[in-house]
Amino acid sequence: MSPGYQGIISMRNAFFLGKGGVGKTTTSAAFALAKARAGKRVLIASLDPAHNLGDVLGKKLKDKPLKVEDNLDALEIQLSAWVDRYLKDSRDEMKETYSYAGALNLDSFFDIMKYSPGTEEYAVLWAIEHIHCELSADYDIVVYDTPPTALSLRFLAMPAISNMWITELAKLRERILQRRQVVTKINPASPVASSCVDKDDDKVYGRLGSIKRRLALLQKLFSDESFVSVVINPDDLSVSEALRIKEELERIDIPFSAICVNKRGMSKAPWSLDDRLAGIPAFYFEFKPEGLRERDDLMKLDTHDLADAFDAAAAEGIR
Amino acid sequence: MGKLVDKAKAALGIVRQVNRERATEMIEFELKELENIFTLLIMGGFVGMPSPPAPIAMELLPLLEREMNIMLSRSDFAQDPLGAMMGLLEID
Repeated sequence: MSPGYQGIISMRNAFFLGKGGVGKTTTSAAFALAKARAGKRVLIASLDPAHNLGDVLGKKLKDKPLKVEDNLDALEIQLSAWVDRYLKDSRDEMKETYSYAGALNLDSFFDIMKYSPGTEEYAVLWAIEHIHCELSADYDIVVYDTPPTALSLRFLAMPAISNMWITELAKLRERILQRRQVVTKINPASPVASSCVDKDDDKVYGRLGSIKRRLALLQKLFSDESFVSVVINPDDLSVSEALRIKEELERIDIPFSAICVNKRGMSKAPWSLDDRLAGIPAFYFEFKPEGLRERDDLMKLDTHDLADAFDAAAAEGIR
Repeated sequence: MGKLVDKAKAALGIVRQVNRERATEMIEFELKELENIFTLLIMGGFVGMPSPPAPIAMELLPLLEREMNIMLSRSDFAQDPLGAMMGLLEID
């Protein structure tokens, strides 16, 4: 993967997070459609392994952008394909590097890696990186319909967590290279002298640097170039989850830009937004008892105020 | 005479090399330990130790042949690290 972030600084992204079933896909699709019909070139991408964006937009989607209507393209990321692609790259590189790889039964090892903690989160990050680097230049706005909270928070936190590891590993690597330099200088006949002693030549140090750069750019994308909305329903469960999301986003320094209260009026029970969410701009979407059957029905959800908030945030550089 | 000078040079060379080896012995020991720790940190997830996310290990793994060899050779005296240290310091 070769990130090509240069020149995409003004790109604006909208992420829709929330508990499963609150209406993330509907809200994000309504937002994307409204923006597209207002003349912006919009790409909407579903990162949820259980896709239903295609159903909402009334079009069968693939993992490449397909035109839904004028100004609106959509795609559904196939996470399993991203995992397979990445593992294949690693497997090929391993086979090239280790002459005895054939004896290691690598295939079964890599099959297990699919289920390793972190792999799915990284697959989401690679997919976002791909959209950001390879596709976003053709659009004014990229809207992300995310998986349910647990996976979303893990992939959003992954750059920050990985970065801590990379920083410490890079420090350790520097110490190793320093010791190698000393040994090589004093005793050029030492076997150590045949290994890399310089940071610029050391492939491991170089790889750590490239991972760090990729993660830093993703972190910047989430923190500085994204409008993060959390979708809730007027019920206690989704509000509790929104509070957990707020806490986690604060911890990893990602802005909580808006709350979308979806299906307002579905229940007659009295309800008000929790005080702890009071400082965040809230946007309300009425419950439609007749349902949203076709793409045009999405326009019944009034996203004007949300779109204005997005534009205002984009204009002032998100934060 | 020339042969004698050559032999003396060779002998001096050996003495110099021995001294160089002795001078770097401790640093090389520390270096191997650092390389061992580096690999253990990256590979730790495979044996149940806290480690960076597996995909980071996957990215670095193809570049760690030397470090993996060191880690495997270090495991030979993992049962007796003090003995190895005493041997290095020539303490009986």
